[in-house]
Amino acid sequence: MRRHDVLVVGAGLAGQRAALAAAQAGRDVALLTKLHPLRSHSGAAQGGINAAVGAEDSVDTHIYDTVKGSDYLGDQDAIEFFCSEAGKTVVEMEHFGTIFSRAPDGSLARRPFGGAGFPRTIYAADRTGLALLQAIYEHLGTEKITTYEEWDLVDLVLVDGRVQGIVAHDRRTGEFEGIAAKSVVLATGPAGRVYSRTTNSHSSTGDGLAIAYRAGAWLKDMEFVQFHPTALLETGILITEGARGEGGILKNGTGERFMSRYAPHVQDLASRDVVSRAIVTEILEGRGFPGGFVHLELMHLGKEKIESRLQEICDFSRNFAGIDPVTEPIPVSPAQHYMMGGIGTSIHGETNLAGLFAAGEAACVSIHGANRLGGNSLLETLVFGKEAGIAAAQFAADSPSTRVSDIEVQRTLGTVRTMMARTDGVEPLAFRAEIQAVMERRAGIYRNDADLRAGCEEISTLRERAATMRITDSSRVFNLNLTDALETLHILDLAEVILVGALARTESRGAHSRTDFPKRDDANWMRHTIASYRPEGPQLSYAPVAYTRWEPKERVY
Amino acid sequence: MVESVSVPLSVYRFDPGRDASPRYVDYRLDLPRHTPVLTALLKIRSEIDSSLSLRYSCRSAICGSCAMLINSKSRLACQTQVGPELDLHGRIVIDPMRNQPVLRDLVVDQRPFWQDYERILPHLVTDPRHPMPEGKPNPMTPEQVERFHETPRCIACGACYSACPAKEADPTFPGPMALAKLYRFVVDPRDGATRERLLRIQPGGLWTCLRCHLCTTSCPKDVQPSERIRDLKELAIREQGATEAGSRHAVGFKENLHDRGLLNEMRLVRQTDGVLGMLRQAPQGIRIAAKKPELLHKPRRIEGQEEVRRLYELLEDEEGGA
Ligand SMILES: Cc1cc2nc3c(=O)[nH]c(=O)nc-3n(C[C@H](O)[C@H](O)[C@H](O)COP(=O)(O)OP(=O)(O)OC[C@H]3O[C@@H](n4cnc5c(N)ncnc54)[C@H](O)[C@@H]3O)c2cc1C
Ligand code: SF4
Ligand code: SF4
Ligand code: FES
Repeated sequence: MRRHDVLVVGAGLAGQRAALAAAQAGRDVALLTKLHPLRSHSGAAQGGINAAVGAEDSVDTHIYDTVKGSDYLGDQDAIEFFCSEAGKTVVEMEHFGTIFSRAPDGSLARRPFGGAGFPRTIYAADRTGLALLQAIYEHLGTEKITTYEEWDLVDLVLVDGRVQGIVAHDRRTGEFEGIAAKSVVLATGPAGRVYSRTTNSHSSTGDGLAIAYRAGAWLKDMEFVQFHPTALLETGILITEGARGEGGILKNGTGERFMSRYAPHVQDLASRDVVSRAIVTEILEGRGFPGGFVHLELMHLGKEKIESRLQEICDFSRNFAGIDPVTEPIPVSPAQHYMMGGIGTSIHGETNLAGLFAAGEAACVSIHGANRLGGNSLLETLVFGKEAGIAAAQFAADSPSTRVSDIEVQRTLGTVRTMMARTDGVEPLAFRAEIQAVMERRAGIYRNDADLRAGCEEISTLRERAATMRITDSSRVFNLNLTDALETLHILDLAEVILVGALARTESRGAHSRTDFPKRDDANWMRHTIASYRPEGPQLSYAPVAYTRWEPKERVY
Repeated sequence: MVESVSVPLSVYRFDPGRDASPRYVDYRLDLPRHTPVLTALLKIRSEIDSSLSLRYSCRSAICGSCAMLINSKSRLACQTQVGPELDLHGRIVIDPMRNQPVLRDLVVDQRPFWQDYERILPHLVTDPRHPMPEGKPNPMTPEQVERFHETPRCIACGACYSACPAKEADPTFPGPMALAKLYRFVVDPRDGATRERLLRIQPGGLWTCLRCHLCTTSCPKDVQPSERIRDLKELAIREQGATEAGSRHAVGFKENLHDRGLLNEMRLVRQTDGVLGMLRQAPQGIRIAAKKPELLHKPRRIEGQEEVRRLYELLEDEEGGA
C-alpha cells in the first residue's frame, strides 16, 4: 500500500508551493499530477503577479482595490492577509530563482494592470507564469518528495467524514491504485472546460472540485465566472488587453466602432466585463460577423508598432489563427477565463472535511469575491498554496495513520469497467460538447431566469444519458478515452452547480450579470453561495461575507 | 467563411503491449488551411477514432506537451498549421518524437529527457560569497537579464532532444535542452555552482555536440540551444585549455562571467581562440558520425539524409569560417 503523510494533488503553482511547505515542515510528502508539473496551466499566465512594493503604492490600496474589484463579495479578513503577504511572496520567488523583468536600477519592474491604483504588477517579460513555474519546480527539486507524474486523482476516500487518501489512475500502466494519506491538498486548478469557449487549457476540467464536491466538500460561489472579452475565434486563445492598450479597436460586422456607444469616453479601453457584455450584445443583436464574432483591428498601428509592442499577440494570431494582424483584423469573441468559485476554504486552506485542504484556482477562500483582478490569482496560488501546505502538514503530524481499502479501489474500477463493457452509448467527447453547449447558451455572460431554468432541465436530461457513457478504447496504456470519460463526468456536476447557483442569485454582482435583475442587491445577496452534493442535485445554502474595514460602495471605475 | 482543403494525414499508431509492430493509419479531414495539426488530431480523436493517444494541454505552445514529428521534423503540433505542410509535402505524416521510447502512439517516455535535465543540477545554488539579501530581491540589471538570452523561454517540450543526432549517437550526451538550462544557471548572477554543474555533465559533456543546429531550428521558442552550447564551449576552452575532463578553472571562468560580462568575453574568445576551438570540435563530430553510420540511414519514415547532409554542410561552414 502506498502511504504518505501529506498528498498534494495538482502540481501547478499552488500544488508545488503546498508540497514545498509541507516538506519543509518535515512531513513525508507526495505530489500527484495528471500532467508533468511544468506542463500545468499556471505556465500560460502572461501578465504578471501583484504586489504593492512600489514607494507610491501601499498594501492598503491593494486591499481596497481587491475588495472593490470583488464587488464586495470577497472576505476582507482573507484579502488583508493575502495582500500583506504579497511582497514577501514575490521576494521568495525571486530567491528561488525567478527571472523577473527589471527596472534600470536593478529593482523588480512593474506594469499597470486593470483595476489597480498603481503599477503593481511584477512580471517576467510576457511569460510570468512560466517563469514562476520553472522557479518553484527547480526549488522543489531540492526537497525529498515522491512524485506521481501523469497520475489522475479519481476518487477521494473518506471514513466517518475524515479523509483517508485517494484512488488514482496511473496513465502509463493503466492501474488504479489506492494511496493513503493523513491529509490531502487539492490544487487541481481551473475548470474552464465546463464551457466550450475558454482561455483555459484542455486539461482544465475541474477534477478536484467535482471529486471533492461528491465527497461532501462545499463548493462556494460557483456562479461567478469571469469571461475575457477577446479570445481567438476558434481556439479561444487569450488575446491580452495589451492589444487595446496600444490602440487596437473593436469593430462589428457593419464596420462600426461599437464601443463608442457603450463607453463613450474610454471606448475600447473599458473594463473587461463592460467590453465582454458589449461584444455579446452586438452579436446577439445581429451586428456580429456570421459565426458570432467581432473584429479586433490593429492594422492602423502599422507593422513596426505591431511587431515590436504587440509581438506576442502577433505570434498568437499568426501561429494559431493564420491571421496576420498587420494586414487583417483578428476575429475575437469573449471566452470563459477564470472561476472565482471553488472548494470553500479558510485562510489556511481547510475545507469542511477533516483532512481535506485546497488551494489555487480550485479553491475559494474567498479573495476574488464576484470578480477577480488580473495579477491576483498567481499571487493567490503561492500565498494560499503555502498556507494549505503548512496546515496539511500540521494536520498530518497530529493524526494517526490512515488506509485505503481495496474495496474502494475496486468500486472505482467497477465504474470504469462498466463504461468499458458497453457496446453502445454516448462518446465522452461528443457528450462533453453537449454539456459545454448548454453552458454557453444558458450560463454565459448574460443570464436570466428562463435561460437558467432551461439550462437546469437540459443538464438533468444529459445526466440521464451520462449513465450510458461508453469507453471504446480498451488499451491500458495512455487511455485518453478513459480520462475523457472521467473528466466529462466532473464537468457535468460542475455545470449543474453553476446553473443552480446562478438561477438562485437574483441580482447582478461582479461577473454574474442577470438581465432580469440588473442591480446589485446587498440587502439580500451580500453572502456566499454554498453548494453541497445531494444525489438529486446540489443543495444551496448561504454564508456571510467577512468584513473588516471596507464599507460596500457602488463599483464604478 | 474560410475555405477548407482536404488534408490527408498518416499517423503512427503503436501499442507496444498489444501490437506486434507499428503501423500508419490514414485519415482524411476537411480543414481550413490555418488549422493547427493538433486541432486535426483532436478532430480525429473526437470524430473518428477516440483511441488515438497523444499528449496535449495548452494548445498555445506554452505547456510543451505536444512535440512530435510532423513530416519528419520535431515540432509542436499546436504551432504547426496544415496548409504550409501540404504545400511542402502534399500530405502530413505524424510520428512520435525520436530519442525517447514510444509508450503508445505519439506518447513517448520522457524519463531519459528528464534524467538528463537532472544532471545539470537544475536549481539555483546560492554562492556563499553572495548570500541572498534578506527580505529583498537580489538586484539585477536589465543587462544582466539579457545575458540569459532566450533560455528562460524553454518549455521543456523535448523537440530539440528529439532532433539531436549527438544524443542519438552518444547516450551520455545530456542533449540540447539540458545544456541550454545549464547555461541559464551559469550566467545567473545569483548562482555559485558552475564548477559542480560542469563536472556533473562529464562524460559526454559539451563536446559531443556536432554544431549541426538542428536543436535550434526545431525549437518552437527560439531558445537556440546550439548557440548557448557554443558559448559554453568557448568559455570552457578559454578557461580550461584543451582538456575536456577537468573543470579546473571553472571557478575562475565563472568570475569572468560575472565581472567582465559575457558578451565582451564571447567576442574576445571568437577573435583569439576561436580557430582552435572550432578545430577541436569538428573532428569529434566527424568521429561520431563515422562511428554511427546509421545516422545516414535513419530507420522509421524520416528523411534522415537531408538532416545529416545539412549537418555536414554546417560543420564545413564552421571550419571554413574559422
Ligand atoms: C491564459 C491565461 C492567462 C492568465 N494570466 C494571468 C496573469 O497574468 N496573472 C494572474 O495572476 N493570473 C493569470 N491567470 C490565472 C492563473 O494563471 C491561474 O489561476 C493559476 O495559474 C492557477 O494555478 P493552479 O496552481 O491553481 O492550477 P494549474 O496551474 O492549472 O495546475 C493544476 C494542476 O492540477 C493537476 N490536475 C488537475 N486535475 C488533476 C487530476 N484529476 N489528477 C491529478 N492532477 C490533476 C494538473 O496536472 C496541474 O498540475 C491566467 C489564466 C489564463 C488561463
Ligand atoms: S547542435 Fe549539438 S546539441 Fe544541437 S542538435 Fe546538433 S548535435 Fe545536438
Ligand atoms: S530548448 Fe526549445 S526545443 Fe528544446 S525543450 Fe526547450 S523549448 Fe523545447
Ligand atoms: S499543447 Fe501545449 S505546447 Fe502544444
